[in-house]
Amino acid sequence: MVKEEQELANRPDNTAFTQQRLPAWQPMLSAGIVIPGFVLIGLAFIGIGVALFVTSRSIQVLELDYTGVGQNSPCYKCTYPNVSNCVCDLDFSIDSLFKGTVFFYYGLSNYFQNFRKYGVSKDDVQLSGDLTNFKSPSDTCSPYVYDSNNQPIVPCGSIANSMFNDTFQLFQKINGTKTLVPFDGKGIAWWTDYNIKYRNPSVTPLKNAFNSTVKPIFWSKPAYDLDISDPANNGFINQNFLVWMRRAALPNFRKLYGRIDEGVYAQGLPAGNYSLAIAYNYPVLSFDGRKKVVFSNVSWMGGKNEFLGIAYLVIGSLCILMSIVMLIVYAKFKFPEED
Amino acid sequence: MAKESVESGLTWEVRANSRHYHKQKQKKSFLCFRWGQYADNAVHSHKYSALTFLPLTLFEQFQRVANLYFLLMMVLQCVPVISAIPWYISFIPLLIILSVRGIKDLANDMARRQSDSKINSQPCDVLVSQSFSRAQWKDVRVGDVLRIHKDQVIPADLLLLCSSEPHSLCYVETADIDGETNLKFRQAPSAAHNELTCQPSEEMLAAFDGVVLCEEPNNRLYTFRGQLHWRGECLLLDNEHILLRGTVLRNTEFAYGLAIYTGADTKILRNCGKLRVKRTQTEKVFNKVVIGIVLSVLLAALLHAIGAGLFSSWVMSHTGVPYALVVNGNPVYTGFLVFWSYIILLSPAMPIALYISFEVIHTVHSLFIGWDMEMYWQQAERPAHARNTSLNEELGQVGYLLSDKTGTLTQNRLLFRQCCIAGEIYGDPSVRAEETEPMDLSWNPFSRGGLFMSAPSLVEKLRGQQCPFSRQFLRALSLCHTVMAEWKEEAPVYQAASPDEEALVGAARELGWVFLSRTRDFIIVSELGVIRQYQLLALLDFTSKRRRMSVLVREPEGGLKLYCKGADIVILDRLQKDCPYQERTERALELFAQACLRTLCVAVRSVPEASWEQWSKTLAQSAAMATCDRDALLEKLYDQMERELQFLGVTAIEDRLQEGVPETIALLQQAGLKVWVLTGDKKETAVNIGYSCKLLDPDTRLLEWQELRQILQSPDPAVSFFKARQTALWAVDKQAAGVKTAVVLTGPELAEFDQRPEWGATFMSLAEQCQSVLCCRVTPGQKADIVTLVRKHTSSVTMSIGDGANDVNMIKTAHVGVGLAGVEGGQAVQTADFALSQFRFLQRLLLVHGRWSYRRISLFLRYFLFKTCSFALVHIWFGLFNGFSAQSLYETWFIALYTVLYTAAPIMCVAFFEQDVNADSSLKWPELYKSGPRQELSSPLMLFLSLLYAVYSSLVLFFIPFGVYYNTDYDLQTMAVTVAMAATFTATVEITLLTRYWTKFNVAFVCISVVFFFICSRITQSTRLFERSPSDYFFIGASERAFIDPLVWLAALFTTWTAVLPSVTALAINVILTMHDKHKVHSASLQPVELRSKLRRGTSLRRSSYALSQGAGPGRLITSGTCIRSTVPTVDEKVTESENSTDSQVQIHMKDNSHVPNGT
Repeated sequence: MVKEEQELANRPDNTAFTQQRLPAWQPMLSAGIVIPGFVLIGLAFIGIGVALFVTSRSIQVLELDYTGVGQNSPCYKCTYPNVSNCVCDLDFSIDSLFKGTVFFYYGLSNYFQNFRKYGVSKDDVQLSGDLTNFKSPSDTCSPYVYDSNNQPIVPCGSIANSMFNDTFQLFQKINGTKTLVPFDGKGIAWWTDYNIKYRNPSVTPLKNAFNSTVKPIFWSKPAYDLDISDPANNGFINQNFLVWMRRAALPNFRKLYGRIDEGVYAQGLPAGNYSLAIAYNYPVLSFDGRKKVVFSNVSWMGGKNEFLGIAYLVIGSLCILMSIVMLIVYAKFKFPEED
Repeated sequence: MAKESVESGLTWEVRANSRHYHKQKQKKSFLCFRWGQYADNAVHSHKYSALTFLPLTLFEQFQRVANLYFLLMMVLQCVPVISAIPWYISFIPLLIILSVRGIKDLANDMARRQSDSKINSQPCDVLVSQSFSRAQWKDVRVGDVLRIHKDQVIPADLLLLCSSEPHSLCYVETADIDGETNLKFRQAPSAAHNELTCQPSEEMLAAFDGVVLCEEPNNRLYTFRGQLHWRGECLLLDNEHILLRGTVLRNTEFAYGLAIYTGADTKILRNCGKLRVKRTQTEKVFNKVVIGIVLSVLLAALLHAIGAGLFSSWVMSHTGVPYALVVNGNPVYTGFLVFWSYIILLSPAMPIALYISFEVIHTVHSLFIGWDMEMYWQQAERPAHARNTSLNEELGQVGYLLSDKTGTLTQNRLLFRQCCIAGEIYGDPSVRAEETEPMDLSWNPFSRGGLFMSAPSLVEKLRGQQCPFSRQFLRALSLCHTVMAEWKEEAPVYQAASPDEEALVGAARELGWVFLSRTRDFIIVSELGVIRQYQLLALLDFTSKRRRMSVLVREPEGGLKLYCKGADIVILDRLQKDCPYQERTERALELFAQACLRTLCVAVRSVPEASWEQWSKTLAQSAAMATCDRDALLEKLYDQMERELQFLGVTAIEDRLQEGVPETIALLQQAGLKVWVLTGDKKETAVNIGYSCKLLDPDTRLLEWQELRQILQSPDPAVSFFKARQTALWAVDKQAAGVKTAVVLTGPELAEFDQRPEWGATFMSLAEQCQSVLCCRVTPGQKADIVTLVRKHTSSVTMSIGDGANDVNMIKTAHVGVGLAGVEGGQAVQTADFALSQFRFLQRLLLVHGRWSYRRISLFLRYFLFKTCSFALVHIWFGLFNGFSAQSLYETWFIALYTVLYTAAPIMCVAFFEQDVNADSSLKWPELYKSGPRQELSSPLMLFLSLLYAVYSSLVLFFIPFGVYYNTDYDLQTMAVTVAMAATFTATVEITLLTRYWTKFNVAFVCISVVFFFICSRITQSTRLFERSPSDYFFIGASERAFIDPLVWLAALFTTWTAVLPSVTALAINVILTMHDKHKVHSASLQPVELRSKLRRGTSLRRSSYALSQGAGPGRLITSGTCIRSTVPTVDEKVTESENSTDSQVQIHMKDNSHVPNGT
């Protein structure tokens, strides 16, 4: 009896796991699966590619650079040094109707919003409305924590400090009269940013919360006065501020400024002549940057994106090509010539 | 005296019974400092003490480059200026891996400590102030006098002072030291014997104050030089006087010895070699790749640092809005910081998780070995055991198997299986020994069983007195030997110098010719119940040169008979001209040889009285001559007597192999392994075993030293080797014989390699083409040297397998050491990496576990490299577009969770469960094993290709989302989620392509991992966590939006497919191309079997299958009477207790070398 027990103690368990005999599915791949598989995937990719390409083609885009590099450029005058409060008018015409809601973006090139030191230079606690961080912002905001008078900067940090401050007004010119085409700036920021990530301190009026703080050095207006027309669109939940604070992925990017979806323009932007009044404040030429504005309507896949459609088509065709090569190789192996 | 001894090299001084003298020079140690001369007798194989564990283990662990690298990473991450990831993310894994390794080492060390203390606490009797008291091995000191009892293991190297036996002889079994199974005798120096035995021994021994001067401790097992200075006399000492540690005292009640070398100074421990840390080939290659990756990372970081410097100086020159981009005004300093930041950012390419997983996989594979029912040996209730858990994949790459013989290939049991008397063959070798039908031997009162031969016809003949030949044959067996009989429980128990003789005499006993006892001059035999007394006139001793032995006896009836047994070649040469059964005998010898039985021929001669008288006179004269000529003369004289023999028959003894040995060896050879046998035993026995375990084929040509030496010395060894193979001696079919060659070497011949190191490479290149190499009579040290030779001149993985203390050194030296535990559990197991119970388990260990492990670990390493590099190197490309600022493209949490949660479980499942073919098929097609030794899966090229593939994938992972998001309003976080999604998908698709064996765990973990990615992304980017700590969970909302954006999905899926496209294509092409190959493999594997059987039929050659594990010597002892004690045959009054036999006891001292018979 004792011996039996001992035997059991040393004897390995006879289970499928310990004996490495777990039931398993061992797919046997063959040319009959592989080659049709490649064809199917290739066809699927070509299908998606065509859909993307066609959709992308149907999207209308108008891009206008207004940096003012060339002498003929309407905003050239604003690029002189020591010019302030410069407004330039950018005239353009649209040949055909921009269907649906037209999105209006501003775009920047060669602008490294994805630079690490730049990106960390903000105080998330302060931006979520915590008043203690109004008094003493986090060190992460350096070098924009305190101004030269040792007053705390609110909102602190480099991102906020460098906020894009050009403003735009679009006019349609019909028979010499300018009609304002209103931009709808509501709801252009992310829902989570607007409702959770950024919050104003619960102090009314908002201005009081900013007592004994200073506005960012590059700003002309304090945070609580960003939008004079709409008191609710101020402080940290100002839509344009939120859009700016969401860092772009790459050095060429555009950011949403507003939508054209009101009144007569709800169905789209009709053909005709337009004039864009630009309050030119934001300097980009010093670092070889470019500024532009973009009008675009959107589809289910967002804005115009030809790259993805073409890429799908290329890889899809490649798969088909490879399946043909494989078929030839397979045929050679299966029916060798000497037999 | 002292000066003289120093000159002769005898500097080791041992004073008997004077502990205080030796105590001063006792070896001591403190931490790592050691001083003193004499070691104590304890074995210390452990490394750590409580004090030294922590520093030593840390020192050892940080010798691994990887650990140092991780430590550096951790330190870097503690610096806030450059830190991209919180410090604890890498500190905790490092702490885990250090402590896991440390605990593992500690556990191993504790196990060693335990086994040490088991050895050290074995009991022995030490003489302390006039009486023997029980002590432990570790208490034995140099100069102590010990008493060893029968069957005790000798605790230290002793000088034999006296023993219970006449002339202070004693017998030792040295199987554990040299693998030889015969008993060896040792004799005390005559002066010591004379003085110490005639008085009450303990007082005499206590008063013994001799001083031994001898060589310093060394590892030469077979030589000893020394002097014993005692009472003004100086006695020369040699190997004959020494009892080595590890040998076992046999057939001797007790022996007294003086400890000369103890503990680490003993010869066997000097032969043990150093314990070395073993690393696998794959790990070595992989470490190089790791270093390569680290260097590439450093290079990339350096380039980015330069880029960062340039970028910052460019920004500096354009002050503007993004002034904040450069915190520090100094571009060089910025570059310096960015350099370290990039090292941190790219460090996930070499994650610490890799090493943790590697360790875990090894452990699980080791567990699988221990769990395998097929490697569990019921008889000893012992499963296989992987003692070293880091060598598993090496098992799949073994190129050379170097095996011990005794106890490893053989069971060390010799069975009398067949005989041929007068041309008639008795017994059937096709029946396994255990299954032989037992014969009815109840008529024989002396029968004790143990005869594995079924031949009722022979018994009938014997009892019916029909066949005088068979009676003569058995009489020869019962007379012609050097066996001693001891009476126990009314029956003789045989003590033989060789197991062969024991089997022969035992078989004769079973068949009715019972050897009862011997005195110096008489042999008493019971023949079918009739007691007969033969007078022993002369014993013509066995030597390995003569290959025969004879006894000359006077029969009770008065006639003189010479019984002779020996090798077939020798005996057949000495037969009378007209041998009646010549042809049938030859046939029998051939049959026995084919069955791989050890054969001895037995013959008889009637000697005329006159020629005997003449001969004995000459013998007496030559015996008195000087030693050097005497041997040659004696041999010549013996030769004269052993002539005109009448042939009686052939005995066939089976050297029992371990179960399944031939099958295993055949399988391993098919798998491409070279199997070599290294043994301390004799050439003949080794060759015989070579044939019986199918290591050598019957038509294999044996290349011996003389020939090999000529080949090695010739200017072009390869050509002369080829020629030598062409001129096969026995081969009928020349072409076939040309292929099969085996080299047979002996220890002394191997020693020549030391002087000619340039032969090593040549020899190995020749051995490469040989079927096998047998090395006989090699010391443990030489065994290790051979392993080193193979290691040095080939890139193959070597594996040693053995069971005894003599194999310890080679087990330590080889890449992989396997210890056979057998029934008792051998010494070798303590130092082995893997412990098996049976040799045949090796096929499963190598072909199944080894092959799987190798495949799994190769797949694991390649996949791990791919998944980590492809995901981490993305930052290099992103750096080009973010001002070289070390901006991470991922959420911090994704970096932390990617390796441990999103991609870890599926690859672990593959590393645990993957099987390309199942166990049975692995054994059925051993050719599959060949990919391991060729490093097909883990070659530097393969790893490099994986790296290249990873770089490609990282390019795809970055540039496709780059193309999609360029000049759009998508933000950095959405892009981060897209790339993360694509990276996770890529890793998942890649693992599904790798997996061929989908267990439910594989399926579950692949699904769970992907689901985890989505769930964890949502959790770390959720509102609740953000509210708790805004700076740690700042990705809030990113995935929520991204996961419902069709563009993100299209981009991620497209990126994934493009990233894995090379892998998918390679797989598809592989599928299409291997379809054809698979049929080839299957059809090819059947052919060799057929070919082999054809050869077997075609050859009609015969080789001598003579083998005998006996050394020269016992015959001399018998005729000199030294080893015979007062044998009192208690059973029989009929035995005439002649005067002479009692005389012999007295005569011993006077006439040791007398061969003159007393005559009755």
